[in-house]
Amino acid sequence: MRSFDLGALRGAMEGVCASNLCTCDAEGMPNASMISQVHWVDSDHVALSYQFFNKTRANLLATRQASVSMTDARTMARWRLQLDYVETRTEGPLFEVMKAKLAGIASLHGLEDVFRLLGADIFRVLSVEEVSPPMLEPPRRGTPLLAAARACMNDLAAATDFDELADAALDGLVRHFGIAHAMLLMAEGDGRLYAIGSRGYAASGVGAEVMPGEGVIGVAAREGVPIRIGHFSADYRYGAALGAAALSAGLLAEAPRSVPFPGLRTPHSQIAVPILSEGCVTGVLFAESDESLRFWNEDEDALVLITGQIGAQIALLRRDEPAAEAPLPAAVAPGAGLVTVRHYARDDSVFLDHDYLIKGVAGAILWRLLREHCATGRTDFTNRELRLDRSLRLPLHAENLDARLVLLRRRLEERDGCLRLEKTGRGQFRLVTAARLVLEEADEAQAPDVA
Amino acid sequence: MATNVYATPIDDLNAWRSAAPDPETLPPHLVAFLQGGVFPTIGARGPDGRPMVATGVGTRVEAGQTVRVLVMRRPNPGLIEAIAAGSALAVTFSRARDHRSIQLKAASAKTTPVAPDDICEMARQTAILADELTEIGYTRAQADAMVSHDPDDLVSIAFRPDRIYTQTPGPGAGAELER
Repeated sequence: MRSFDLGALRGAMEGVCASNLCTCDAEGMPNASMISQVHWVDSDHVALSYQFFNKTRANLLATRQASVSMTDARTMARWRLQLDYVETRTEGPLFEVMKAKLAGIASLHGLEDVFRLLGADIFRVLSVEEVSPPMLEPPRRGTPLLAAARACMNDLAAATDFDELADAALDGLVRHFGIAHAMLLMAEGDGRLYAIGSRGYAASGVGAEVMPGEGVIGVAAREGVPIRIGHFSADYRYGAALGAAALSAGLLAEAPRSVPFPGLRTPHSQIAVPILSEGCVTGVLFAESDESLRFWNEDEDALVLITGQIGAQIALLRRDEPAAEAPLPAAVAPGAGLVTVRHYARDDSVFLDHDYLIKGVAGAILWRLLREHCATGRTDFTNRELRLDRSLRLPLHAENLDARLVLLRRRLEERDGCLRLEKTGRGQFRLVTAARLVLEEADEAQAPDVA
Repeated sequence: MATNVYATPIDDLNAWRSAAPDPETLPPHLVAFLQGGVFPTIGARGPDGRPMVATGVGTRVEAGQTVRVLVMRRPNPGLIEAIAAGSALAVTFSRARDHRSIQLKAASAKTTPVAPDDICEMARQTAILADELTEIGYTRAQADAMVSHDPDDLVSIAFRPDRIYTQTPGPGAGAELER
């Protein structure tokens, strides 16, 4: 029977105050050191950051015991833990969570080149001893997080489609959590993420792309675990990987085929929480701040509740879809002007005249709609027929079609141009054209087999 | 009377000692570092054979040879017990402002009462440490709490270091400083 509640000590495991560590060698000679990170794993385990092969490391491998003292920066209470070494992890969610946190700590102390996580050393906690009682009153913030989570979840529950759900999530973060900068991104099948909406930026960034493993967003999506960082770190910037990928694909000489990432230039706090739906990462809810240490473990807990509900509602909305037949084509007056819509099959990117619009599955959807529209004059479509259209290569499971349609519609709205998608009912929408369209397949050799 | 600006034989002796120190004596720059407001992390081995970590308040060095680390007695019964049982000792001294860290190790140590001037010396050293903590991002309240101690509860752990290591983070950390 445990005599301690490790969950109550999570505040001391935020990596704000350095911790102190003692190990002994086989002859009983102790070794004392400072350690950057003691990380909460579960009610019986913590993980220590393994950064160097040093005496501590040799001792741990030889005697498998440690004693650590750690301080809660909010109250300055201090505890001493007795630990037994279990194993070292050099990849996976826990490793990535600690790596991101360490990057923030290293950056704060100007030690980016020195502090690199080699492993997460897992320990079983044998005992917890209070060394110093709390000395400071923890700082109070606005609305208590549980109340904020409850209010936000109420708003989410009222959403009747993906569009409303996305807005409820972003508005909820702003209204209930006082988060000034937030973004919702949805996953493509290949691991990339696309911004579907944001709050608190000069440009919405709808359609902006994050590569797998890039920044806290890409790591959170890849590992399926919340990633949180309390100080600015150059290691978790966005755009660098995308630039490199573009360069290697030889794309830089062409028109840019991406939307700029709207994030803060030097965020001092960032949190990315994966949205899991039916066991798959379908998106990421992201927030950032100019303030250091803006997001604590309780903020993470609250956002995990929110993303849990978002994921569940995405699954429900998908199941709930009406099996509506396509309505009869409505008469839509063709607009004036002439626009060339160009499609590149290699990445399904679509350009309106010479301006990049969208790519990926959303690009493929648009191209399919436009081809059918030009061939038959049809303007009214259903989500369901797209879902069943195998030419779009939607993944069979958790395919996120609704998110892609919302992304497409929002991009078209932002362009305020010759094309719009209008909702006409549940699971139904209309393609509205305000110009005559000329479709041009730019890469005929690799043209997809479009129905 | 004007201050004597001429050299003295004492100067020569001090300079000589500092350039070619007695292996039993810690170099003056190290003595200054240890007493300059650095944070002691203490390691010992308990009677049960397990490692025991503790933190100290400040440090005094006597005659360049005996190091006394002052700790609070009440929060550290395990450490006091380990020392009494003959544990070896390791103490890493870390300077907040630049992370410079030095570890001293000794085969044994003993607990000794505090000297009369230890209390005001601890106040001086912890004031320096607290100021440096605010320079690296701690609030004043956090820094003051970090170094707070009960002067009536202090005890010193005295030892003569056998080995000295650099523990400053970076390549070469952990290397022994041979004497």
